[in-house]
Amino acid sequence: MIMGETDIELVRRCLGGDNSAFAGILEIYQDRIYSFALRLLKDQHAAEDAAQETFVKAFRGLSSYNSAYPFSSWLFRIAHNVAMDVLRAGNKTVSMDEEDFHELPDPARSVEDSVAASIDAARIEALLGSLPPLYSEALLLAYREDMGPAEIARVIGAPEGTVKARLFRARELVKKGLKLKVEGVQPFGGFDRIN
Amino acid sequence: MDADNTDRLIVRAIAAIPYRRPSAGFSAKVMAEIAAVEVPLPWWESVLTASGLIVAVWAAALVFVSARLVYVNLADIAALFIQPGGFSQTLNLLAARTALVMVKAAAALKFASGLLSAAAAGLPAWHETAAAALLCSAAIAALSKSGRVSVQKTGI
Repeated sequence: MIMGETDIELVRRCLGGDNSAFAGILEIYQDRIYSFALRLLKDQHAAEDAAQETFVKAFRGLSSYNSAYPFSSWLFRIAHNVAMDVLRAGNKTVSMDEEDFHELPDPARSVEDSVAASIDAARIEALLGSLPPLYSEALLLAYREDMGPAEIARVIGAPEGTVKARLFRARELVKKGLKLKVEGVQPFGGFDRIN
Repeated sequence: MDADNTDRLIVRAIAAIPYRRPSAGFSAKVMAEIAAVEVPLPWWESVLTASGLIVAVWAAALVFVSARLVYVNLADIAALFIQPGGFSQTLNLLAARTALVMVKAAAALKFASGLLSAAAAGLPAWHETAAAALLCSAAIAALSKSGRVSVQKTGI
């Protein structure tokens, strides 16, 4: 890979028949895609397989990539689809019923105080692992991958309003989880749903 | 501590989560799989390839037939080239044949255009044809619409 080459330049080289340019794309994105898959699938082997499938699918479909949009969101969209397929194949249910949300905490001042003291990356990472995948995915794309709601909507194939609602609920669930941890209770023990 | 501040802290903590690295052979595995992937050709490239193949097959057939013809008439051709002035005579013969074919082609074209204009004289004017087509389309659309309505009403 030539230093400083952008995604688009690497993609152009790949499309021109230079397969070695894909090594550059792999170098840039392998950690991000693998971490994304790992946090959704919670299994190293499954995450590695999913990441591999993502890159192979991306390579096959490179000619369909529209350079008007960021390459990263196109790649994350493939990763999202692969991860969701894996989760569905593992008999995880897909549900957006109201009952999923009735336990949202009331963001009262006392809760905020106890939560704020317990926030750090390690705790948050552990909490993300216990969240339903669609919520942890929304949080990761928004705050770890620095994507806006419109970009996330393109990645997960949902309306922008749904993304915003999911982010709000996800943050509330994180706060609730942090509060439970502070109180010494295991948060979200029963979650193994896709959302 | 307000809710906005807690949100900010959560966002900052998520942004600080480290990326995990896949196992050591991951890149090599992906690149090996990519090397085995056959990227499908774009449609126009497939069309070009098919056209090229057809042309090549036809050229091969032509060469085969010509070669047989040349082989069968080899003695005559050799005799033609051996006699003095044989080459120019062959060229003249070819030119005469070409001229004859051209005259025949021109005559055939003239005949075809005459035939077409004779047929066209019997056809209605273009605006009449267009009006008839429009009327037919409207009638078909109306009939199929009423058919759909009656099917919906009867629940069939």
